[in-house]
Amino acid sequence: MVSAALIAGLWGGLLALERRAFLQAALSRPLPAAVGVGALLGDPTAGLMVGLVFELLYLGGASLGGAHADHEMSPAVAGAALAATMGDATGADSTATHWALCILLCAPLGIAGRLVETRLDARARRYFARLVDAADHGQVERALRQNLRAMWPHFAFYGLVTGLVTVLGPSLTSLLHSAPPSLLRGLAGTYPLLGTVAAAAAVNASQGEGRLRVAAVVALLVALLLLGALGVRTWA
Amino acid sequence: MGVTLSKLTIWRCFWRSLFLQAGFSTEGMQSLGLVYALSPALVVLYPDAERRQAAFKRHLAPFNTHPYVAAAIVGGILFHELKVARGEETPETVERFKSSLMGPLAALGDGFFWLSLRPAVGAVSVALVPLLGLWAVGFYVAAYNLVHLTVRRLLFLLGLTLGDGLIARVKAWRAPMWSARLRVLAAGVAGGVASWLAVKFGVHAKGWVEPALDVGSLLFGVVAVFVLSKKVSPYVLLYVAAAVSLALSMLDVV
Repeated sequence: MVSAALIAGLWGGLLALERRAFLQAALSRPLPAAVGVGALLGDPTAGLMVGLVFELLYLGGASLGGAHADHEMSPAVAGAALAATMGDATGADSTATHWALCILLCAPLGIAGRLVETRLDARARRYFARLVDAADHGQVERALRQNLRAMWPHFAFYGLVTGLVTVLGPSLTSLLHSAPPSLLRGLAGTYPLLGTVAAAAAVNASQGEGRLRVAAVVALLVALLLLGALGVRTWA
Repeated sequence: MGVTLSKLTIWRCFWRSLFLQAGFSTEGMQSLGLVYALSPALVVLYPDAERRQAAFKRHLAPFNTHPYVAAAIVGGILFHELKVARGEETPETVERFKSSLMGPLAALGDGFFWLSLRPAVGAVSVALVPLLGLWAVGFYVAAYNLVHLTVRRLLFLLGLTLGDGLIARVKAWRAPMWSARLRVLAAGVAGGVASWLAVKFGVHAKGWVEPALDVGSLLFGVVAVFVLSKKVSPYVLLYVAAAVSLALSMLDVV
């Protein structure tokens, strides 16, 4: 369990740097980030299913002009790592029950992550102040490494959160064992509904002209296709 | 006054510009990262300590733009700093270039990359999950970065070679038109994914209950879009969805 927490923590910390400080190549987006931690912990499907919902939920999120959007990486990585460790504790891969529970438990980390990021921005003034001070003394070059030093609080905080959440996996699995079957069934059934809500959030966040009309037409076509297939199957 | 920058120095600046946001703060914003990126060039351009410190100081003013399009500004600053070092321009030209471009380029970068390309690639990747499984993630990272890294490198080179002339070139790309198309694509694909997931809701039910649950969850998705447009938090809807599902389970419907 400790090794799983360390792996998840390290992955979360590194992706926090990618998201914020270096490159921003979408590796820290929920889908790739969650699949990555799922693969590292031996259950990439957990990452895929948890990451898929968070990807849709945060599809339109963006930090604009220094104002931060919810921290999409933390809930995705923590949720996928938690689902993978819960599955591991049962001796098998994770199930829809685990995915739904982990999404519901980890979603608030998006808000918490945003609040912490804003605090870290304010804290980073000290690094800038050191640069200005060095410039006044004609020693700017010596102060430039402050830019790299400013990355460590992000690595440490988001890595720690991810690692700590991962540790909860076995305890949650024990709790689920003693839960009534209807609750487990309900949680498993919740997963696609959570995805539907997340996709609705994605439609809403898209700012394109006529987005609702296009989304409605595509949704209707897909629904007719799938329900038609269901009707044929039932009739046959 | 034949000051030049070697290729190594120029690409060191580009590499360091990838760390532009590392030291982001509420005070200088990206200026710590900007000075960090420019440092290898300024050291070469201004061997005289006094002129070098003055060059560093003029880039300490608050600076904030989109991290990708910042490559164009870093390239453009090198273009102008070269001329300043040669005595062909005044330092005010560099400051004017930087302050006049960071706002418009930020709007362009935010609108195209954050609010259009990323949602479109993300939505398409999610829609590909039933077909490609884990490979959908490979598609996501490859497709997004093909555009991202190509544009970032190109913007840097345009700034470096054209200076202010990069504005006309960037305008010719018609980014707002592509943004609008990508946003509609993202919305359409997200609508399709919503349907697919909604129809999965009733998959464990028997007989007539399955299509009833499918249609019910589709309607839930429609209501969700409406409620979200009224500024209700998506987190609230997530927990409402869970409560509905658990209630149906307690009633033995699912």
